[in-house]
Amino acid sequence: MRTILLNATVTSSNDRDAEKLRARMKEKGTLLVNIMSSAGSGKTTLLSRTIEDMRDLKIAVLEADIESTVDAEKIESLGACAIQVHTGGMCHMDAGMTAKSVEAVEEATEEALKNNKNFDLMFLENVGNLICPAEYDTGAGLNVMILSVPEGDDKPLKYPLMFKESQALVISKMDTRGFFNFDLEKCMQRARALNPEIKIFPVSAKKGDGMKEFEDYLREKLKSWKEG
Amino acid sequence: MDYRIIETKERVLADNERTAEKNLENLKKAGVFFINLMGSPGAGKTSTLLQLVKRLGKEGKGLRIGIIEADVDSDVDAKTLSDKVDRVLQVHTGGLCHMDADMTQRALEALDFTGLDLVVLENIGNLVCPAEFEVGADMRVMILSVPEGDDKPLKYPLMFTISDVMVVNKTDAMEVFDFDLGKAEERVKKLNPEIKVFPVSAINGDGFDELSSFIEKAVKEKRG
Repeated sequence: MRTILLNATVTSSNDRDAEKLRARMKEKGTLLVNIMSSAGSGKTTLLSRTIEDMRDLKIAVLEADIESTVDAEKIESLGACAIQVHTGGMCHMDAGMTAKSVEAVEEATEEALKNNKNFDLMFLENVGNLICPAEYDTGAGLNVMILSVPEGDDKPLKYPLMFKESQALVISKMDTRGFFNFDLEKCMQRARALNPEIKIFPVSAKKGDGMKEFEDYLREKLKSWKEG
Repeated sequence: MDYRIIETKERVLADNERTAEKNLENLKKAGVFFINLMGSPGAGKTSTLLQLVKRLGKEGKGLRIGIIEADVDSDVDAKTLSDKVDRVLQVHTGGLCHMDADMTQRALEALDFTGLDLVVLENIGNLVCPAEFEVGADMRVMILSVPEGDDKPLKYPLMFTISDVMVVNKTDAMEVFDFDLGKAEERVKKLNPEIKVFPVSAINGDGFDELSSFIEKAVKEKRG
């Protein structure tokens, strides 16, 4: 009787798919950014603000949700290209699903791109979940996670993997700090203890505070992606 | 290939259902009321528990309470509750994003619920996966916090569909966020007309008298 270690098979085939997708995106010069966080941390609001501030770039968004089209509709209303992905109940996106979504958005927006068929930035707004998305390489060139002030500064202690796997941490809803017991220094210390290289951006996407630093970071990452 | 995958999922869920039934039976025999408390990270599960325990536990109505703290990592939550209730158990799920009935059965045994009136499982902070796994609870309570937004019932329907109670927490912050309580209630009742909704503030205690009376009544009804 044959027994397979299912977990290992799934993960290693996902890793292969992720490498393939990353290579494809490198050829196109499109930086795929995986945005992860809990539900309601402000992924869509951050993306909306970023899109409005970076209109000189060609941007597309892959909206991954379990249900509903509210997020894709919001992004589209800003004039950006978006597709809504429904995961069929799955709590995260993997590389296979992401590759299919990339194809779908490129097909759907062929007209919009016209002569130059490639996007500069493609954002994958992952399913709202602080755990599972961190376990699956989506093939992205950059992992950005969001922790919002109301969630609390102890989250790096309780959900360490996502902090370890992300290159950047956006601390959102900074405009609400007066209302909550959120120790920014402690939170940053805790995140850096897990991941000394992580870049941290405290922002208020609503008010615009801190957004320039985050957007400059994205531009810098895009430049190296296209040059590398 | 697809057929095999579906069959596996059905088998996993059916096995889980059976263990959940067993948990329910064991707790019924002991007259213990079991709550599965769910919500996103930072929604206020632990803070809500603190408020409930103050009213229902040794300093309040005198119910004997046991808590199972389920986390991916850390014991900050168990530490917060440890001297406030009769028994606390910290469970680490080894990275798993939810508690299932089997893990719950083992946790209940380790906690030892004999002599308790109420056991609460504070599930992993996650609005998705815990909703798929029955653990054998008498009452499923989920917490949605104001900063998360009133559109969450649209985006994460299963959690709202399977819950008996929706606690809307952080109502003290209502003016700072675009949260429409009426809309949130409408959306959740469309999915689940029977769900009871309790707006609260775990920071200042608003709304907790109503919620704790509701739970106290259910605990006493089970004991008979």
